[in-house]
Amino acid sequence: MVLDMTTDATLASHLQELRRGTVVVASLTVLRTPGYGYSLLETLSEAGFEVEANTLYPLLRRLEAQGLLTSAWNTDEARPRKFYTTTEQGNAVAGALRIEWARLDEAIGDLSTDTVSTPGSDK
Amino acid sequence: MSASLTDRYVFTALRRVPEQQRADIDRELRASIDDAVDARVDAGETREAAIERTLLELGDPDRLADSYAGRSNFLIGPELYGVWRRTMKVLFTTVLPMVVTVVAVVELFAADVTVGTVIGAAIGATLTVGVHLAFWTTLAFWIVERTGAGLDDLNTPWTLAKLPRYEPGALSRMDLGALLVWPALLIVALVLQQFAFTDEPVLDPANWSFWWPLLIVLIALKGVWAVWVFRIGQWTRPVAVANAVLAVVTAAVQVYLLSADKFFNPGFTGFDAEADLRGWVSLAVIVAVILGALWDIFDVTRKTERARKGIPAQVPGTGNSYSVI
Repeated sequence: MVLDMTTDATLASHLQELRRGTVVVASLTVLRTPGYGYSLLETLSEAGFEVEANTLYPLLRRLEAQGLLTSAWNTDEARPRKFYTTTEQGNAVAGALRIEWARLDEAIGDLSTDTVSTPGSDK
Repeated sequence: MSASLTDRYVFTALRRVPEQQRADIDRELRASIDDAVDARVDAGETREAAIERTLLELGDPDRLADSYAGRSNFLIGPELYGVWRRTMKVLFTTVLPMVVTVVAVVELFAADVTVGTVIGAAIGATLTVGVHLAFWTTLAFWIVERTGAGLDDLNTPWTLAKLPRYEPGALSRMDLGALLVWPALLIVALVLQQFAFTDEPVLDPANWSFWWPLLIVLIALKGVWAVWVFRIGQWTRPVAVANAVLAVVTAAVQVYLLSADKFFNPGFTGFDAEADLRGWVSLAVIVAVILGALWDIFDVTRKTERARKGIPAQVPGTGNSYSVI
């Protein structure tokens, strides 16, 4: 089946909706070991998360302001970098988000199998 | 040269970031850009191309700054938009027409009035008042949107009580307001034209002995009639008959005065033109008065008939009707 342009655009916008929020879980999970902006960007894109630099960098500062990340400047190397680490609170939030993600995944899986019957369709 | 490209980019972004965050964001953003450029150079790109691609990917520095500062990229967000639209609609369908009408009527009594000056005044008032209404309302909503002050007062939760009613007959408060404002404006205009607006009154001052007071009473009675309809909350036969009698008498008085050339002040100089301007204006007013009265009688009679037969309001576009108990 060939998807036309409209379907492509529709799919793209739905995918974007679906992915929104996953970057937060992924970042909080990855940063249990300290990392800086560009390294996180690389890790996420290698792991298959499509995230843009201009979204990720402000997001990190927002998560820090919410107390889910802490940061410290590392000036040991030639290029000073700001390292972020997930806080205890950030870990708890990430845990809750991952549980919700798993629950949704399971629920979607249940819906798409044939065992589910909608009321009135049981013939 | 390209080094300054990064500088220009970072500087542009920082300009719109709160000052206390600038130093930190400056260092972090530069480090991130340098990391990305190094990675691209390692992958075989020239340094200049790498910088250009990296900055292009970061995109508009103003948007990046908004994102850092947590600023919203809209004037009025979805939470307030509905309230804003309703407010604008009310202002533009009630306040604007009223002000424009008043301005046009006042212009009618100006010393050297022509059709052109009246239309010009009306267009000018529409533009000026419209722009003011839109600007100040939107500014007020923008302030509420940014500061959050008064947000709860504006954005009240929806309740079932807010559902519009579709019972045929019941006069809404809005209708009542309109039915009271117009008679009041007419009476004020009638009295004021004697003393203000022009050197000579537009309407014949001789009629103050009987006809103008009678007309004022008739116009006031229309207001009383509106309150009556609002009170009983129903279009009934007596309501329709009273309206028809009132409309016929009011129209008859005006048509008599106009056709007998007793309506306008003979001393009013605004009509002194080569053509018989007063005659033409009289004819136009006669036609308008008769048409207005006929429409009024027809409209009220129709509503009364619908209410009497219990015909509920139609759902626009479906052919269904709301069932009214």
